Amino acid sequence: MAQLDTGTRPEQDTAWLDGLRRNDPVLMRSLYKTHFPAIRQFVLQNSGRPSDAQDIFQEAVIVLWMSAKEGRLTMGTENGPGGFLFRVAKNKWLDVVRSAAHKHMRVVHNDQVLGPTSDAPDDIEDRIARLRGVYEKLDDKCRAILDQFYYERKDLATIAASMGVEEESIRTIKYRCMMKLRAFRSAIRGENSEAS
Amino acid sequence: MKEGTLDRPTFETIEAYVLERMPQNERAAFELRLATDADLRAEVDLERENIQAVELGGVMRLLNDVAREERIREQKNHGGLRYLKYAAVLAAVASGIIWWVTRPSLNEALYAEQFVPDPGLPVAMGTTNNIDFADAMVAYKLGHYAEARAKWTALHERMKANDTLDYYLASAWLADGNPKQAIPLLKPLVDRPASAFHHRAQWYLFLAFVHDGRTSEARTLGLEHDATYGERVRAILAQLPG
Repeated sequence: MAQLDTGTRPEQDTAWLDGLRRNDPVLMRSLYKTHFPAIRQFVLQNSGRPSDAQDIFQEAVIVLWMSAKEGRLTMGTENGPGGFLFRVAKNKWLDVVRSAAHKHMRVVHNDQVLGPTSDAPDDIEDRIARLRGVYEKLDDKCRAILDQFYYERKDLATIAASMGVEEESIRTIKYRCMMKLRAFRSAIRGENSEAS
Repeated sequence: MKEGTLDRPTFETIEAYVLERMPQNERAAFELRLATDADLRAEVDLERENIQAVELGGVMRLLNDVAREERIREQKNHGGLRYLKYAAVLAAVASGIIWWVTRPSLNEALYAEQFVPDPGLPVAMGTTNNIDFADAMVAYKLGHYAEARAKWTALHERMKANDTLDYYLASAWLADGNPKQAIPLLKPLVDRPASAFHHRAQWYLFLAFVHDGRTSEARTLGLEHDATYGERVRAILAQLPG
């Protein structure tokens, strides 16, 4: 299990990266405790509401998580995730502020990055949106089993015991659920190729 | 990528590879196949992304849980602070009411401004009675007025009329903030001009009347032109109505 440390102590400089890759809930909570206050302050100082700060922070964490999963975080990892999170959150909020719906907002902290940054490339944003769409296709039963197996990394025997069924049943349900996702993706791919 | 359903053994082989649960030798062989099989590569990419979609769902759920927990915690803290603010306001209002109700009247304020306890007599040892008197006087000088009163009262019952006892009993009541009890003790002294305590008793009776709002009785003492107390008496009476 990753330590709570997400700062800059050399002996644990990339523990947070390993934690992200393993979906470590302790690390996720520590990200919130350590880095959310600065982002909330930035959003609130720039015409945002507390709920905006929550949304922006969550989106930034998801970009961080996705980047870690895909091995895109290589530079500056020894300094912890704070800088990355703040830059992503800041750019996301500035995008919101610039949007037509928020033209009345006044930005007081836009002295640094104003354009899209390499921290959160557009293709990651697109992939996140696509993956969200895929996940939403799952019914509750599939989510319950797939979450435990793929996200929480529980083994089939543990999931079966917690649900009071045979291990083989869980294995079969898992397979069927994943085939549903595959069929959904095939359908999307077919629609896209027809459109092009 | 093949159309239709992927067979279960192939699905589970790809799953083991994506989740890094494949033994090393199998992994090497699988990667050799991947290098030459485009369909297999497409299947691996698709399954990796589908697994990532499930993981993303878990991450989003966890982040929502953490945000909800934080909101609840902040609301509790904020609620506590709000209650503290209300409590502070209530305390301030209550203090104001208590001050208003118990605030000293003008008469009490004038009394407090002018009253200085009699310094008492030098303690002299002599007769048995004097020893008891002196003992009480020590208590009086130490500010133990109730103790002094108790001892002088015991003497008073034995000696009956005694100006010294009357005066110092009255002084102990006055010093304890109870002029009402002092008035009946001071009046006989004021009525006896020959008493050694007559003059001082006039002044303290005047103050006791002022304290109790008995201004007309205070005026009848006629101290406005007294050489010792006149100036203070006039200043007090000037501030009182009627």
